[in-house]
Order: sequence, then structure tokens, then C-alpha cells
Amino acid sequence: MTGGYILEQVANGIILGSMYALIAIGFSLIYGIVRLINFAHGDIVTIGAFAMLASVAAIGAPFPVSILIVLAVGAGVGVLIERVAFRPMRGAPQVTGFIASLAVAIIIENVGIMTLSAQPRSFIVPAYLSAFIRLGSLQVRAIDLAIVLLAILLMIALAAFVRFTKVGMAMRATAENYQVARLMGINIDRMIMLAFAIGSALAAVAGLMWGSKYSQISPLMGLIPGLKAFVAAVIGGVGSISGAMLGGYVLGLAEVLFVGLLPPEYSGYRNVFVFSTLIVILLVMPNGLLGRSTDERA
Amino acid sequence: MLWLEDVHVHRGGTHALRGIDLEARRGEIVAMIGANGAGKSTTLAAISGLLRCRHGRISFAPEKERIDITGMRAEKIVVAGISHCPEGRQIFGNLSVRENLMIGAFLRSDRQEIRKDLRAVHDLFPILLDRAAIPGNRLSGGEQMMLAIGRALMSRPKLLLLDEPSLGLAPRLVEQIFDILQRIRNEGTTVLLVEQNAAMALDLADRAYVLETGRIAFSGAGKVLARDSQVQRAYLGVGV
Repeated sequence: MTGGYILEQVANGIILGSMYALIAIGFSLIYGIVRLINFAHGDIVTIGAFAMLASVAAIGAPFPVSILIVLAVGAGVGVLIERVAFRPMRGAPQVTGFIASLAVAIIIENVGIMTLSAQPRSFIVPAYLSAFIRLGSLQVRAIDLAIVLLAILLMIALAAFVRFTKVGMAMRATAENYQVARLMGINIDRMIMLAFAIGSALAAVAGLMWGSKYSQISPLMGLIPGLKAFVAAVIGGVGSISGAMLGGYVLGLAEVLFVGLLPPEYSGYRNVFVFSTLIVILLVMPNGLLGRSTDERA
Repeated sequence: MLWLEDVHVHRGGTHALRGIDLEARRGEIVAMIGANGAGKSTTLAAISGLLRCRHGRISFAPEKERIDITGMRAEKIVVAGISHCPEGRQIFGNLSVRENLMIGAFLRSDRQEIRKDLRAVHDLFPILLDRAAIPGNRLSGGEQMMLAIGRALMSRPKLLLLDEPSLGLAPRLVEQIFDILQRIRNEGTTVLLVEQNAAMALDLADRAYVLETGRIAFSGAGKVLARDSQVQRAYLGVGV
């Protein structure tokens, strides 16, 4: 096992972690504001990937433009889901929203299978993104580099928005105490909508990345990344945005390194490693790496 | 400037307010006193739109014109000119002191005037300027109370609803807070105050209401109520 090999594995972990982090942010953002675990979040990943395919196939949008389209589609679908499925349940016990989110997930997946067929489709990125780039002793595909850079860019933008803008401040206040936030004149419905829009836009872009990296997409492709990003959000501390980012990278690296560094006959146990990581971290730090204990809210 | 007429509110399955009639006139400090669970905080929550009225009417006249605010959304009531400083201070612990104050002005966009009000709050509570950059949860109880009042003032309210400002504070601090309330009133903000500390509240208030199980039991000028034998026995611990 050479240093170069390990470096390569670390790079793969960071690429995977970037995508987990983007999806995990949505789990945390939405949970932070409404205390809802949205199990339909992984399906936004799928929708993002198909929006990409559609924008390229239908209008021949160049890659950077379709990123913007995917962001917009993701935000729109997120807002729509909140409006149709979750707003009517506002104030109901937490478990009701949880079940509603499962229903939304099942509906999206099955409508996807019925209209698009469960057959995976190939997803081709432009030639300049399939080229290899040399970074020191490391050789990566341009798309991998683009994934990491875009993810970091989006995360910095989100962090700056939440930290420095008035609306970002209102989101933090709402996450902390929504009753008192109302007394400040903050419109809670709008904050919830915003959380869904941002979280879903990021998940949709992660879908685009997932499709670009693995070159195929299907209506059920979002399930596993969604589930693992949920694990990442829990590892980081659900409700904490920086926790979700950290959790994404921790999980991505753990997954790739377990598989890459252990003898090949264990590589089939990939998901066992992922979920064991979750259990171990929660045993040691029940609120996750950066989480605080929070009250319950439906 | 504020009128409650026969207000009924249900809260968690109980009939918490059973016909509250109450008035606050411009420039007054009005106190509400009463035992735990009498409905004082519920009354404030009904005024600020956090709880819905089952029956009755709440109206408010920030200027000359009287508007019906029954059932209005909480954020619209803030715009109308009512600011509610909730029980237990409830500052945003993860936000800095400065952010807590700025979020009080969330609905305003008049930057110049916001800056002016921020200076005015720092005048009232100089400690908040020293602590501007630290998170709210690192303040002491007294400082948090000051922050909560300052935050409520940042919306530039015509009417300030204040819930239990003395809760858990040392007597010297309570006196300081009550002095500030007088200053706030003198600068033109009407104050509706809920207080456990009945003696101090009656001493400060122009008028006061005594609540018992969701109804007004007594009302009148603060100084008069303070001498009332029934009120003395029940709330001031005199002659027991």
C-alpha cells in the first residue's frame, strides 16, 4: 500500500464527502427550522439528476447553465413539497411529518418509475469534464475536481448567507426559538419555505454531481445517498449546518478508507462500515459532533 | 390605546381566559398581577397574536385610528406597533448581543433610525455595548433581561408588553429595571406589565388589574389597589 494509493483514496473520500455534505445540509437546515426529518430529501437528489438530463437533452443547455437550472428546479420542488405535504401538517406531532415525508418519497419514486422506467440511463458529461488533471502526484478527473470546488463554493456561499445577512440571521433565530422569532416579526412560513428551497437546491445539485460522477441515473438513485447523507447529518449533529458539512466529509472519508484500506474481501460490507460509524459516534457523542441538544417541535 | 373586550382564550384544552376586559391608555404603565396560572401571560400572548381568541375583540390605536387586531398574524401586530418581551427573557442564545438587538428591528428598513434606536438602547443599558460581540447565552440573568427589553424596544413599539421582568433577578437589579421602565414610559412608550412582584408593580403602575383564574377580579389605580385590604391579603402578604 503506497502513499500514492492512500492519497488517491483520500481524494475519493473528499469527492464522495462533498456530495454527502451538500445533501446533509438540507436535512439539517430543515430539521433546524421545523424539527422535521424529511425522508423525501434523497428523492430531490434524483430530481436534480433528471433535471440535468432534461436540460441538456431538451434545450441543449451548456453544463454551467444547467447547474443553475438544477438549483432552480431543486428549490422549486422543495418549496412545492413543503407547501403540499408539510404545511397542512404544521403543529401535528413530529411523527406525522415524518410519515408524510415517507409518503412523499414513495410517491416521487413510483411516479419516477412509472414515467421514466426503472431502467438506469446513461449520463454523459462534456468531454472537457472527463479529461484527467494532474495535481502533484495525484491524477483526478476534471469532473471530480469540479464537484469538490462547486460543493465548497456553495457551502461558503451558504455559510456567508446564514452568518452575515439579515434573513440568515432570522433563520438562525427561528431555528433557535420560533415562537420568539414570531414576536420579532419574522414570518415563520417564509423561513420554512426558504429552508426547503435552499436545502433542496443543494440536494438537487448533489444529484447532478452523482450522475456526472457515476455516469448513470435512475429514479431510485437518490435512496442510498439520501440515507447516507442523513447519517452524515446525524453524525455532525442534526440541526447544525457546519455539523452537516463536517459529517458529510467524515462519512465520505470513512466509507472510502474502510473499503480502500481493508482487504478486498470486505469491500462488500461498505454500508456496514458507514452505519457502524454512525453507531460508534452516537455512542460517544449522542448529539453528534457539533450538535446541541434541542427541544422537540412538530 | 389598547382595548380587550370580553376576550376568551383556550390553551391546551383549558379555558384559560374567561372574558378579559382591559384597557391601556396612551402613556400609562398598566400592571397585571395575579397568581401563577391566573392568565397573565396568556393575555399577553393573545394580544401579540401568539394565541388565538376564541371569542371577544382586541383593538389597538397606535395613532388616532383604532384598528382591530383580533386574529391578526403576530408579525403584522409587530408592524402595528406592539412589542412583546416574553417571560423568561428568551433571548437568542446563539446570536450575538448585537444580533439580538438587530433582530428586534427585523421588520424595519430605516437604517438611520435603527442606528439611532440602537444608540438609545445602549444609553439605557451601556453593558450591552460592552458585550455586543458575545453570544447571548454567555450573559448573566440581569444582562439577558436588559437584552430582552432592548430587543423589544428595537421595533420602536408604541406599546411594550413586558412579562415578568423581575423573574429570578436580585432586588437591586429589579429596581434598576423598574427605573428603566419609567424612563421608557417617559420617552413615550406605553407599557403593559405582568408581574409576580405585586408590591413593586402596584407602586410603579398608574393602573392595575388583578387576575384570578382567567377573569379580572379587581382593577383600579395602582396606589389604590395597593391599599385595598383584599388585594393586600391575597397578593401583598399583608395582615395574614
